[in-house]
Amino acid sequence: MRRTGMNRRWLRLTAVVAQREIRQRGRSRAFAVSTIVLLLVVAAGVAIPAILAHHTKPQRVGVVGGQVAAMTGIVREAGHLTDTGVTVVREPSLAAAEAALRSGALDVALVNGSEVVVKQVQVASGSGGGLPSAIADVAGLSRLIGQLPPGAANRGVTLPVRGLTPPSASLSRRLTGLFTVVLVWILISAYGSQIAMGVGEEKQNRIVEVILASVRPIQLLTGKVFGIGLLALAQAVAMVAVFLGLGAAVGSSLVHGAAAGIVIVGAVFLVLGYAFYCTAFAAAGSLVSRQSDVGTVVLPVQLPLIVAYALSYTVIYANGASVFYHVLGFLPPTAPIAMPVLYAAGDVPAWQAAVSAVLTAAGTAWMARTAAAIYGRSILRTGARVRLREVLTPRGGR
Amino acid sequence: MTEASLELAGLRRRFGSVTALDGLTFSVPPGQVFGFLGPNGAGKTTTMRAIFGVVALEQGEVRWRGEPVTEQARHRFGYMPEERGLYPGMQILEQLEYLGRLHDMPASAARAAARNWIGRLGLAGRESAKLEALSHGNQQRVQLAAALMHDPDLLVLDEPFSGLDPGGVDDMTAILAERARAGVTVLFSSHQLDLVEDICESVAIIYRGRVVAQGAVADLERGDRPRLAVRVGGDPDGAWARRLDPALATVERTDGGTVLLVLAPDADSQRVLDAARAAGPVEHFTHATRSLSEVFRAVTGEDAG
Repeated sequence: MRRTGMNRRWLRLTAVVAQREIRQRGRSRAFAVSTIVLLLVVAAGVAIPAILAHHTKPQRVGVVGGQVAAMTGIVREAGHLTDTGVTVVREPSLAAAEAALRSGALDVALVNGSEVVVKQVQVASGSGGGLPSAIADVAGLSRLIGQLPPGAANRGVTLPVRGLTPPSASLSRRLTGLFTVVLVWILISAYGSQIAMGVGEEKQNRIVEVILASVRPIQLLTGKVFGIGLLALAQAVAMVAVFLGLGAAVGSSLVHGAAAGIVIVGAVFLVLGYAFYCTAFAAAGSLVSRQSDVGTVVLPVQLPLIVAYALSYTVIYANGASVFYHVLGFLPPTAPIAMPVLYAAGDVPAWQAAVSAVLTAAGTAWMARTAAAIYGRSILRTGARVRLREVLTPRGGR
Repeated sequence: MTEASLELAGLRRRFGSVTALDGLTFSVPPGQVFGFLGPNGAGKTTTMRAIFGVVALEQGEVRWRGEPVTEQARHRFGYMPEERGLYPGMQILEQLEYLGRLHDMPASAARAAARNWIGRLGLAGRESAKLEALSHGNQQRVQLAAALMHDPDLLVLDEPFSGLDPGGVDDMTAILAERARAGVTVLFSSHQLDLVEDICESVAIIYRGRVVAQGAVADLERGDRPRLAVRVGGDPDGAWARRLDPALATVERTDGGTVLLVLAPDADSQRVLDAARAAGPVEHFTHATRSLSEVFRAVTGEDAG
């Protein structure tokens, strides 16, 4: 009973700290301005490509075998259905059509009215799937009306769509991955430096001694990271809501790629990454005596994040990630950025993302303990910057 | 004297090669204004931080009302650190309310207490002002209010008078005395020994992490043995006193013909008077007390402040 009472008070006072952070920062002009700017950036990022995408260029469709008029009719109909301009090209043979697909001279080929061939099948591109599947639908339907081949009822009426190269994640999926990474990056660096500055401020103006007379350093640290974290999360939710809502409204292909899996992986790593870095940022902030020195201790902490972020573009725009980047996906300091990218690009299966999440959670727990120890030992020491070695040994500080 | 409310027993703490507290032991009676003195670097701030658990101890224990201090007990303590600090950009009402809530006050009680102290310290009407908009003196008042918000049983103030103008000193003195009358134990450190003399009933003087003198101010000033100040006409060097029997009295010092004597235990001061009259006309003969500054200098070998 007594312990429960203690724990409840512990939580209550930690919540008081968190509340102050939310109230003071939440109503600041900086928070309002940054929220509006971020939402506008997201809105522009979703809406502008979608508006441009409506002017899709005409697709060249090759037709091999079958009755030319019937086949052309099918392709035209599919073009109508998907609001895509089509140019029908007659190809002498399957081999010629495949060569044209590989070289990019053709976008789709309809073979003998019984098969649709593309260069690469797009996965997870949501319902519809564009012109190739529309052709497959229409051609399959016309075949059904004309004659009923054996087994058609089992296969359904849609023709098989075959890709010449193995499927890879669609560009839209990759772009969703990019959105996730940018979101994680912006929130961790923006709020991380706010936490470090906040800790530095409390140390510089000495209020920390008044506060530590009634709560423990770990409570102050937890309350601060949690309070600011809730603000960060609120901003993230608003950004994702605008991304999904506006994306659905304008029919953005980006949002088609936002499969539930990517959203979940992104959210898990956003929270883990925030917890990992923000406790570290708080510890870094506690090492300096003047707020203006915060920058010098924050940069080394941020370095792994910067590396993962910079390299993420190579994964998003190249086919397949390097072994090095795969390794980064499993290291707690880099995983919060690297793993959502790898997952979104389709380079790792879900179970690997889960393993990485567990490793990162363990790393975060370790980091929180270490950061709390550093913070507790250095927060009351003024004068020269506290050396990390001094506060890592229990005898050193306090 | 009633039982001690705050006891510091054998506190020991080193910082690297520096010994800040070296078996520091003293106790503070309840309902008193207690002065905590010592030269710079003697360990005053470390002691105060140890009371709040802000500094960890290697040895020793802080006890409150006979029990080791718990987190719960600490929420009934109020602290004003030497390095003043509050949030410069936060409104004072909100700021005080926040600090009250950190002492586990319910939000409504914290708000009421903040308004009450703002009024009592002459800051009514400035509730929504940011701290940085106040004058230096008013910022000090807010700092004191922060320590008093939750009506603490123990008030610990590190150099509360430093940086105050005479009006501020009077206000601070009045509030500390009023709190002590209300039963609060008040412990404060200061370099201004004349102030300490006026305000405190008892003091502890520490030096290099140890207590070197403690007790009622009157007792310390009187010393362990009675002192006499005697001047004999025509003897500017006080030569007569050096001929006194050490079993009667010894010379502590001579100051412009006035000799300061320390009486031997159970010695009769009238025999000293007889010896003086034998040496010449006695111009001055009184019981002497030392000022607190003299006591301080005697036990620490340094001047206060």
